[in-house]
Amino acid sequence: MPSTQNPPIAGTAIDPTSLRPKLDDAVVERISPSELRARLEAFKGDGYAMLLDLGAVDYLGREPRFDVVYHLLNLATHARLRVLCGINDGEHLRSVMDLWKSADWAEREVFDLFGIVFDGHADLRRIQMPNDWEGHPLRKDYPMRGNNAERSPRPAFANKSNVVAGTPPAGRTLEALQEQVRRARE
Amino acid sequence: MTQPIAPAAPDIVSRDGNTMVLSMGPQHPSTHGVLQVMLEIDGETVVKADPEIGYLHTGIEKTAEGLFWSQAQTVIERMDYLAPSSNALCYVLAVEKLLGIADRIPERAQTIRVLTMELTRIASHCVWLGTHGIDLGAISVFFYCFDLRENILDLQEAAGGARMHPNYLRVGGLNGDLPAGFIARLDALIEKFPGRMRELRGLLQANPILQDRTIDVGVLTQDEAIQWGVTGPSLRASGIAYDVRRAFPYTGYDSYDFDVPTRTQGDAYARFLVRLDEMDQSMRVVEQARRRLDVPGPVMIDDPKISLPPKETIALSMEALIHHFKLVSEGFRVPPGDVYQAIESPRGELGYYVVSNGENRPYRIRTRPPSMYNLQALKGLAPGNLIADLVVMIGSLDPVFGEVDR
Amino acid sequence: MLARVDEVARWAQSSSVWPLTMGLACCAIEMMTVTSAEYDIARLGSEVFRSSPRQADLMIVSGRVAQKMGPVVKRLYDQMADPKWVISMGACASSGGIFDNYAVIQGVDTIVPVDVYVPGCPPTPDGLLYAVNLIQQQIRQGGRGGIFA
Repeated sequence: MPSTQNPPIAGTAIDPTSLRPKLDDAVVERISPSELRARLEAFKGDGYAMLLDLGAVDYLGREPRFDVVYHLLNLATHARLRVLCGINDGEHLRSVMDLWKSADWAEREVFDLFGIVFDGHADLRRIQMPNDWEGHPLRKDYPMRGNNAERSPRPAFANKSNVVAGTPPAGRTLEALQEQVRRARE
Repeated sequence: MTQPIAPAAPDIVSRDGNTMVLSMGPQHPSTHGVLQVMLEIDGETVVKADPEIGYLHTGIEKTAEGLFWSQAQTVIERMDYLAPSSNALCYVLAVEKLLGIADRIPERAQTIRVLTMELTRIASHCVWLGTHGIDLGAISVFFYCFDLRENILDLQEAAGGARMHPNYLRVGGLNGDLPAGFIARLDALIEKFPGRMRELRGLLQANPILQDRTIDVGVLTQDEAIQWGVTGPSLRASGIAYDVRRAFPYTGYDSYDFDVPTRTQGDAYARFLVRLDEMDQSMRVVEQARRRLDVPGPVMIDDPKISLPPKETIALSMEALIHHFKLVSEGFRVPPGDVYQAIESPRGELGYYVVSNGENRPYRIRTRPPSMYNLQALKGLAPGNLIADLVVMIGSLDPVFGEVDR
Repeated sequence: MLARVDEVARWAQSSSVWPLTMGLACCAIEMMTVTSAEYDIARLGSEVFRSSPRQADLMIVSGRVAQKMGPVVKRLYDQMADPKWVISMGACASSGGIFDNYAVIQGVDTIVPVDVYVPGCPPTPDGLLYAVNLIQQQIRQGGRGGIFA
């Protein structure tokens, strides 16, 4: 059984988006980073007035490594468009905050969790993790538990009434256990 | 690289010239959860509002990448915790599309899914109405709403096993058929509902205090709403009749008869009225679904690679035992591909962009959280209003922070 | 004589335990349900949930504690006046729950001392009522947090 404690992090580095079956959820376009801005402006002019969502996927082991995924909606024709843009670690994308205001927090989240920088964003800083956090958690090479062990050590509170796990039984609990054993042996 | 700003201490108060920066939250009675709004105020008037989120970031999307497809549903349900079955519905629909079994889901399972979804919508709106009332000072509304919610949670507990997060919907159908006595209790709820809605409307709708506090407060124009990506009742209150159940029908919603309430004023009162009307329309769908439940049928797809075999057969059939073992210890595999599935949750368009690379675990589940996009609009709505109006606006946008932060 | 005063004081404290509104996630909704008419925590003395930590005795940590929220919970606990008690409601507050990952603090008892843990995801409102009952028992028996703590 694959252990949920140590999930494999890279998976098989194939590109699922090229193997997708014929689904009718959206029209899909894969656009390179250099053309992205122009094409998005064109889509907006074509009637895709709402940016539904802006997210990213880390395909560790694939070239390019990340996919930034834009979902656009044409309210008049009820058509959805998915734009996939593959970029590598360290490359920047142009922010679309000036085209659609909804991109503001979405780009901040992609920066926070994946480390993808959007040039031209008014205020690109972490949004989900604390400001002094190191690392980008949703990358495939970031451990599932992060650095939890260091950040939340178990302190010894002076007046703590509950028993620390692993402490052997004592006092009345020990007597009760010994009583049980005695009765079982009879 | 951009410079990170200094860590925001939770209780910043700083004065500069005529304005003061005040931190509202993250622990605050009226922020509907863990929201921190950094307010720049001039007296009582808000000059600028900058919401800070992330105080409930749970890493659900990353956790789901380490669980089987059926296990991932448990963490996904805990995103929008006021409407857990809506998260579940969106997720199972997405996975079923990738599996290619979307058109083989039994009729009865679809009916019960619609029933669960609409009951969840009513329950979620009950919480919204109760807490919105408390924000405005109408505390007794809370008790009426939560009493109605108790009936619905009882039904969810009977069907799925838990009041919240029942995990009743499964990939391929449902966990099991409705228990005995469910229909009788559902009928009792359908009977009780109109009277209770009359009481709720009587308490609030024509109440002069509520009207004073919500009319012309937080007016969201159509263009602004589209720019901010607002969906759901908040969008429909501004005049755009976009409802995912009508635009991209799923689970047989195109065979049900219901209206999509819309208003044009775009203020908090319009959002209030739209949600109240939505509760009535949901009950209409519930009644229609109830009538279809008289026809018995299977509730799970008949595919041994995906659904667990009936428990009785495990002691008798070797194949059933092996399938059960494989499904529990390894889970089913989903063919590689990506899909975007959206539903109309009580907050708006909830979407999942699910990527599979052929394994028995999700490769990536990107959530399109309606509450996050709705809440962003607060930056545009708040300036020029009083702090008390800000409370009304947050309530009328109805954010759920499990979804905003995930 | 003094013992009698002590008893009366403890009885008074246990009969009006006012919780702090520390609702974080799903458990918060069940915490709100516990104030509703069906479960009614007010009959146990918790008439109101105070938002200001200065006015509350009991902090019910209901929900998952994210990394960003941890310092906030600690600060609020520090701001509460003695005597104070803490209920860790739900699996996430008790131990991190089903979220064994980078984002959730694995148990609020790493930040604040907890008196009663309530298991469940979320626990039913009955469970929370029982937890408040246990707190009341602890107060009456003079446990940690009594007036002479």
